[in-house]
Amino acid sequence: MKREDFINIKRVVVKVGTSTLSYKNGRLNFQRMGLLAKTLSALRKMGLQVVLVSSGAIGVGAGRLNLTKKPSTLAFKQALAALGQAQLMKIYQKLFDNYNQWVAQVLLTKDVMTIPERYKNARGTLFKLFEMGIIPIINENDTIATDEIEFGDNDTLSAMVSNLVNADLLILLSDIDGFYSADPKTDKEAKIIRSVTSISPELEKIASGSGSSFGTGGMSTKITAAKIASEHGIDTILALGDQPSIVLDIINGKEIGTHFIADKIKQNSIYHE
Amino acid sequence: MEKKRIVVRIEIDTLSDSDGKLIHDKMDRLAMVLSNLHNSGKDLLLVTSGSIALGTKKLNIDINKKDYAEMMAAAAVGQAELIKLYQKYFDQYNQMVAQVLLTSDMMDHSKKENNTKNTFETLLKMGIIPIINENDAVSTADIDLKDNYTLALNVADVAKADIILIKTNEEEKYIIQPRNKLKAIFVNTEQELFCKLLEISNELDDQKSKLYDFPDSIEEFSYANN
Repeated sequence: MKREDFINIKRVVVKVGTSTLSYKNGRLNFQRMGLLAKTLSALRKMGLQVVLVSSGAIGVGAGRLNLTKKPSTLAFKQALAALGQAQLMKIYQKLFDNYNQWVAQVLLTKDVMTIPERYKNARGTLFKLFEMGIIPIINENDTIATDEIEFGDNDTLSAMVSNLVNADLLILLSDIDGFYSADPKTDKEAKIIRSVTSISPELEKIASGSGSSFGTGGMSTKITAAKIASEHGIDTILALGDQPSIVLDIINGKEIGTHFIADKIKQNSIYHE
Repeated sequence: MEKKRIVVRIEIDTLSDSDGKLIHDKMDRLAMVLSNLHNSGKDLLLVTSGSIALGTKKLNIDINKKDYAEMMAAAAVGQAELIKLYQKYFDQYNQMVAQVLLTSDMMDHSKKENNTKNTFETLLKMGIIPIINENDAVSTADIDLKDNYTLALNVADVAKADIILIKTNEEEKYIIQPRNKLKAIFVNTEQELFCKLLEISNELDDQKSKLYDFPDSIEEFSYANN
């Protein structure tokens, strides 16, 4: 898809990470979340179907308990996620309410893609929510996700969700404004790449060396996400999330961030609803 | 990073319409921007008035009668109402608050001052925003002065705050004399107040100097070692 065609898309998945939602100390940035709510509500009013994939639960849980150190054990992280997810949704609901936009919480695990029954159920739920004009806010279900089945990060989750709902576009909002030829933090020669047609092994190699120091992702998982999306015919944009209204500019076709162009024309999934 | 400590002083009429009825949206927005400021890593103390206004309204008392006992009773009723409201709105943003009632003589007794200081420090360490008001049930300062600038400045002093943010008008601005290294920022409207609070929240940790670049619309005075 060309950028100028984004204006005609029907369904978009927007992924925000902890670095977008929070201050550096890990506590929520309500101003940004408010702007995100406003932006996505605007997309809905434009007639788009919107999915928000959001991290942040563990951080909010840690903030609720006023923890100063990062949680170490898996069980503790899971407990914090359960605590924080409820708080996070409360705040999303509050902020989206300001724009008369309803949201719903959907917690998924990776096996939603591999177990046909679950796939069908999740798809059914999400498409019903679209029909009702509601924005699903998706997170990993940290309570039941163990080492083998967890996504590891929400970048991959967002790509799988994009596939699940046959999205036209996946927008990854991050703390970096795009994909660079080298790590811009260490290499002054690094240049932003505006458009990627094929995710080569060399590209993956560049990505594995750079990324954000916050959250679990980093550049490597973003490339993996773009690759998964691309394999299913879905374009991905990687852009800076400190001004979430940037999503509107992206949809309007402005040259923002890095555009990963899908390998092939989007196909409907093997499992039909 | 050096942690900034900020005192915000609010008059309740900021949040009221002409009938003294609290405006939901403004209260909500205030709680949001203050929670946001706190989340951004700043210590925050809120000095508020409004207990008498809320109490007289609830009890349907004529405020012009100047009956001190009645006003103080109204203050006691209104304070409960006031803190209930703050708690409700702050809770929406997962922000815990505490009520601290002070009298102006706290600065005259070192023990009182020390107690107050310890309470502030402990609350701030626990991530709680202290909501401070004049203890109107035992003091008439608020009723007499009809303001709590003095209280706000005392709080800033005891808490060793870096910044005090006050919504005030042109005339009253000049009677406010911050001590020590306290930086006073005056705003005229609540819109300015909200913008200022967001602006302070958005300063990057590594861009401390940005704090001192204010837009022209907001007057800012720095009193060094007055």
